[in-house]
Amino acid sequence: MAGNRDILKFDVILFATTLALMVIGIFFIYSSGVNSSGVSVSSEWIKQIIWGVSSLALIIFFSLYDYTRFKMVSLYIYLVLVLLLLFTLFFGRYVNGARSWLGIGPFGIQPAEFSKIAVIFYLGAFLDNNYKNIDTLKKFVQALIIITVPMLLTLAQPDFGSAIVNVPIFLVMLFLAGARLKHLVYLVITGSLIIYFTVLPAWSEYILREEVLLVKVFTEFATMKYVLIALSVVMGLAGAGLLFFRAGYYYWILYFSSSFFISLIGAVGGRMVLKGYQIMRLIIFIDPQVDPQGAGWNMIQSITAVGAGGLWGRGFLKGSQSHLRYLPQQSSDFIFSIFSEEAGFVGAIVVFSLYIIMLVRSLIIIDRSNDRFGVVLGGGIVGMIFFHVIISTGMAIGVMPITGIPLFFLSYGGSSLWTASMGIGILLSIYQRRYRN
Amino acid sequence: MKGFLGSGAGSNVNRFRLVGVGVFFAAIFITYLIHLFSMQVINTLFYQKQARDVSKRSDIIPAQRGRIYDRNYDSPLAMNVDSFALALTPAEVEGISIEEMVERLSSIINFSSSEMMRKVPRSSSNRYQAVEIVSGVSFENVAHIAEHIDEFPGISWTSKPLRWYNETGSISHVLGYIGGITTSELQVLYNQGYSYDSVLGKSGIEKQYDRILRGSDGRRIKTVDVKGRNTDRENSIEPPENGMNLRLTIDRDIQLLAEKALGRRKGSVVVLQPSTGEVLALVSYPYFNPNLFSLPGPTNFGVLSLDPDFPFLNRAIQSQYPPASTFKLVLSAALLDLDAVDPEKTVTCEGEITIGNRTTYCHKKSGHGPLNLKEALAESCNIYFGTMGMEVLGIDNIATYAQYLGLAAVTGIDLPGEVAGNIPTKAWKQSVYNNTWQVGDTYNASIGQGFVTSTPLQVANEIAMIVNDGIAYKPHILKEVIDPLSGEVVERIEPEILRTSPISYETFQTLKKNMRGVITDGTSNVVILNNQVEIAGKTGTGEVGSDENWHSWFASYGPYDTENPDERVVVLTMVEATNDWEWWAPKAADIIYEGIFGNKTYEQVVKDFRKRRVWYSWDAHLEEDESGGQ
Repeated sequence: MAGNRDILKFDVILFATTLALMVIGIFFIYSSGVNSSGVSVSSEWIKQIIWGVSSLALIIFFSLYDYTRFKMVSLYIYLVLVLLLLFTLFFGRYVNGARSWLGIGPFGIQPAEFSKIAVIFYLGAFLDNNYKNIDTLKKFVQALIIITVPMLLTLAQPDFGSAIVNVPIFLVMLFLAGARLKHLVYLVITGSLIIYFTVLPAWSEYILREEVLLVKVFTEFATMKYVLIALSVVMGLAGAGLLFFRAGYYYWILYFSSSFFISLIGAVGGRMVLKGYQIMRLIIFIDPQVDPQGAGWNMIQSITAVGAGGLWGRGFLKGSQSHLRYLPQQSSDFIFSIFSEEAGFVGAIVVFSLYIIMLVRSLIIIDRSNDRFGVVLGGGIVGMIFFHVIISTGMAIGVMPITGIPLFFLSYGGSSLWTASMGIGILLSIYQRRYRN
Repeated sequence: MKGFLGSGAGSNVNRFRLVGVGVFFAAIFITYLIHLFSMQVINTLFYQKQARDVSKRSDIIPAQRGRIYDRNYDSPLAMNVDSFALALTPAEVEGISIEEMVERLSSIINFSSSEMMRKVPRSSSNRYQAVEIVSGVSFENVAHIAEHIDEFPGISWTSKPLRWYNETGSISHVLGYIGGITTSELQVLYNQGYSYDSVLGKSGIEKQYDRILRGSDGRRIKTVDVKGRNTDRENSIEPPENGMNLRLTIDRDIQLLAEKALGRRKGSVVVLQPSTGEVLALVSYPYFNPNLFSLPGPTNFGVLSLDPDFPFLNRAIQSQYPPASTFKLVLSAALLDLDAVDPEKTVTCEGEITIGNRTTYCHKKSGHGPLNLKEALAESCNIYFGTMGMEVLGIDNIATYAQYLGLAAVTGIDLPGEVAGNIPTKAWKQSVYNNTWQVGDTYNASIGQGFVTSTPLQVANEIAMIVNDGIAYKPHILKEVIDPLSGEVVERIEPEILRTSPISYETFQTLKKNMRGVITDGTSNVVILNNQVEIAGKTGTGEVGSDENWHSWFASYGPYDTENPDERVVVLTMVEATNDWEWWAPKAADIIYEGIFGNKTYEQVVKDFRKRRVWYSWDAHLEEDESGGQ
């Protein structure tokens, strides 16, 4: 097809919303760098303009580039990123307590950000190659392993937020690829239970402030081993039953008991992997007043900033919570707080509308996609963007735990902006090639 | 085929699932917007207040506490001295560890570094909030630190004036001391301008007139950022109103004279002006040094408060003792005023009296022989007054006249914690001891023992009432309230009549003559040896327990005869029985009269007395006795 026809089929709306969000982002990154005397003390907004311009170039490059060509090299991209993550784990630079940066001097990247795109490529290729039997448990587990490797490496940095993004990417991609719902539900249930049991002891310690017998039963090894033995027996019997009688209810007994079993063991691992402050973040999400001067501080200040914004906001550069520096990391993780404080509910509607348009356009692009690879690729990108938006705005308004992930397009940061832009570029590329045979 | 090939024509996706994803997204976005609406539109006022609260701070600008002067208003008894508190801002300490810097600081201000480190919160190295680590640092030390501030990064100082008492002797009981407010005090005073970090008077004048002395603190309101740094370029300041100066009725020379005359004997001295109620001296031994409480380091307060001699007890107003023979003035007044007995009628003292099956003795065991009223008062005969009390007056009359003369009621002096003493009645004994009144009780009451108790100040004011022919003024310590800036007198305390008695004028005249007789012919003629002033008075020796311990009282006034009532003073001395000094009270009073009317210091009086070979003057302590004894 002729190039100029491709240009005409360019999704202007998706591109325009992206551009609008980036511009809003630059304004509020500027605002976040202004101190209480009204003096700009940070050059982050200038850097963000540079990141923004380079992102536009990335968008255009990826939109012009045929995304199907990534399918061949997706394994190598994936392996390179896994190696980079490994490398980061040992040689990375500490930023905010996590060994998450690779770079020299002031220049650096966060491999964890780019690894998401690599995961989307490789998982997309895998799903495309195995579309016929993706409904089998074997393929489901193989797909799960693809995301588990970079996820664990990211978790080890430790960057809980970036690690967990792999989950929605996986879920949306598998869901659109036609994986069985019960597999996905199993994963969601088990994952939720793992987090639940991981947090349980801290929950009883900080929020209930008393020892609960049931909590000890499920979390202390002395008692937990009996639960595990009991579960093993149930699983064994149900497995045998399933083998001999093929009755449906044996399957469901095995389904739930094994989920329970895995989550109990997973929680032990979770408590070993998650740092104390990460568990505290989950705790203070339940009740920030447990530690208002410490772990709960960020959340309380952020909620205060958002609420104080009111209907119309306090005006650009006029938010007291941000300019008096009560808001932490306001240019990156908490950009939505400063935005909401200064632009108010009306501003939040505008930004949410932009994201909704962006996601709706993305879903339409997926619908129009010319091939299966485009569908899962788009699904992964949509899942990634959606998750970033929901978690980042959610923690600003106090409905999500603080995980410290950037709000795509608005937050300061090159790696996240580039990652998001690549995603948009790929979506545009899918759109442009929708009629191709 | 399920999965990739969806229902829509030409689509590679299961549209049902795709719409499901879209609906899921939309549901969450809508939930978020509803939540945002509730935060930003419905509850926004709550959050706006919270945002304001977190950033508005008000710093207290402390008001200068008023000074306290004696009646001469020349040099202050209590004042404020420049003193500084050092604060550490952990985040500003650079190029040196906090420990090292505190160590360096410690060597300059001579204060333990571990004490200071204890004030620094753990893991606070990022904090911009300054923590006070030591107070009571002198101006010289702060000046030194200021000159070498680059060696002390993160150290700042605030002026924290220290209450300083120039006189730290017995006047401490009058002045009191100040200290940080306690939780229970705050609960009471919360609505009266006190806050959790207020400093307030804990006893004495400092407590009584705290409201006048403290003034009102000013405030500096500022907007601070998260690190506690002020961000307002212009502070809004409410200036403090400094406290008023107080001028007391106390004369520090008389106070010192009385303090030294009492010496190291547990007891108290009251010197007051009967014509006005002004207290010229109020001594209680032992006393304390309030300056020690504000020094850095472990408190001396705790040590003193555990002292078995109760140095915080102002014995002149907070201790009640049996008034002993001074109580015979009450009986004399009753006998004369009621015309109950002929003053010339004699009772023969045989040295002992048997009441029921108990025999008690007069202090002169051989007996005084026949005595009339005047002689009985002069000799302080227990048999006479005991007999009169039991046979003529009865406890009801005794109690009535004790009340007429102001006993068993607080004098209302402007010092906290005054106690009332006790005058027993039949009903009182019945209610407290559930026992009927015995005639022996009347005997004991008649000689100022048993259930009768009074404070030294009460007895002093009783004498003042006799001097004034039945008018008692409220004893007071505060003379004037003076504006510290203009020097203007804001308030002057005028003499206030506490009570007038229905006792006849003639009774007082006779009583005064009889009191003069005590000095000229009676018990104390061998000790009242000053040649400055003629005095009148009454001794008292009260038995405490059964170990031959005697409380020694001397209630007196002088000059006995004068054209100018304003020059009269009442001197009351009281020495507790818990020391060996026998009968020191009249001797101390004698020294005080010599000092006041001869305008001499204690040392001059004692030297003069020694020259005159006053027999007891060698028992009066002089510092030079210790240092070689010339």
